Amino acid sequence: MIKESSSPNSGSSGNSGNGTELKIVKNATCTFCGCVCDDIELHADDVRIHKAVKACVLGKAWFLNHTAERKYPDALIDGKEATVDEAIEAAAYHLYKADMPLVYGMSNTTCEAQKECVALADQLGGLLDSHTSL
Amino acid sequence: MYWGGNPAECHPRHFTKYTLMQKSKFLPRGRKDRTMALVDIRATKSAKAADIFLQVRPGKDFEMITILRAMVKGESIPESQIAETGLSLETLEDLVARMKAAKFGAIFFGMGLSMTRGKHMNSAALLTLAAEMNAFTKFVAMPMRGHGNVTGADVIMRWQTGYPFGISFNRGYPRYNPGEFSTVDVLVRGDCDAAFIIGADPGATMPQPAIDHLAAIPTICLDPHVTHTSKLAKVHITTAPAGIAAPGTGYRMDEIPLPLKPALNSPYPSDEEVVRRINQAIAKMPDWMPEGEPPMVLSQV
Repeated sequence: MIKESSSPNSGSSGNSGNGTELKIVKNATCTFCGCVCDDIELHADDVRIHKAVKACVLGKAWFLNHTAERKYPDALIDGKEATVDEAIEAAAYHLYKADMPLVYGMSNTTCEAQKECVALADQLGGLLDSHTSL
Repeated sequence: MYWGGNPAECHPRHFTKYTLMQKSKFLPRGRKDRTMALVDIRATKSAKAADIFLQVRPGKDFEMITILRAMVKGESIPESQIAETGLSLETLEDLVARMKAAKFGAIFFGMGLSMTRGKHMNSAALLTLAAEMNAFTKFVAMPMRGHGNVTGADVIMRWQTGYPFGISFNRGYPRYNPGEFSTVDVLVRGDCDAAFIIGADPGATMPQPAIDHLAAIPTICLDPHVTHTSKLAKVHITTAPAGIAAPGTGYRMDEIPLPLKPALNSPYPSDEEVVRRINQAIAKMPDWMPEGEPPMVLSQV
């Protein structure tokens, strides 16, 4: 599900400067701005994207600045590091306890996650809103 | 027509990929077959790409749209009202004539229209102008969406609830009222007592009273980075960045769904997985509506 490499779109590979093979993803989709350009060619190794062909200035920054490194803690509770399981339990507890919880954002995420967010607001009897209202 | 937006800097490929340069069956000469008008309060970089630039006086967008609507219908406008917009009668007459002469007009409006004096009333007026133009020619209007998948959020909420944003489920069914249920208003008034923030950083973008309220209540934040919001939040969960390390679907601003093709594998879970697990955890708790109490209906109010 995560890897697209089996599809005919992204099976080929290129060569990076340091000799390791780069995976090429053709017709990748950029979700930085609302244009959602879907003709980007990404050259990536396991950790980072090295090249984003056809992407604009903003798109290049978007693709090249995100890596697969573990840069941040999995989760934080009150600013202290925690596991994802603990954080999920804490999140559920606080949202459930609230009388009027708000579910907000949903811009830089997938439609599949957005659908889960609608279900969350529905289940909580809370408020649901996106960047559109800004 | 672009209104209150700066695509040259904010949506760099909008001209070349979508609106101006593309050659098509009916516009074989691409840019030469099109006219671009820009309405803004100052000459941004986008003004260089425009055939006509109309510099509207700040905060007078609503007045200008209303005047255009009247002119489209052939009504006469007092000189003083036109002067208020900072534009001349000739300029506006020229614009209206070009709009009516177009075979297919499209208005793209940005935050310069929707976030300035008049706010959503400006957007409503512009949409009405586009609708009324259809008495003469084909005309559409579309907001210039900033972040990646805001359009997807609109579409998903419309599909699931019937409304695009500003929704409340507090009676057990969805209700829509921007101004009452929209986030900035809710936060500034201090209406909500917990917040779940995903794919957004209100801690960096919202007015200070809204941020103060977010810091005062339990806030849960899902983001690929530790953001300003994460720092004031009770709970932060790091997730995989959508489209880069998490698969899924994203909507283009003209509501075309596109599959995301992640190039990396993230050590973090996807937003979808985390929200689903929070949903499952909440589902184990008793229903929020007291046992045996039916949802409030209008006759009981």
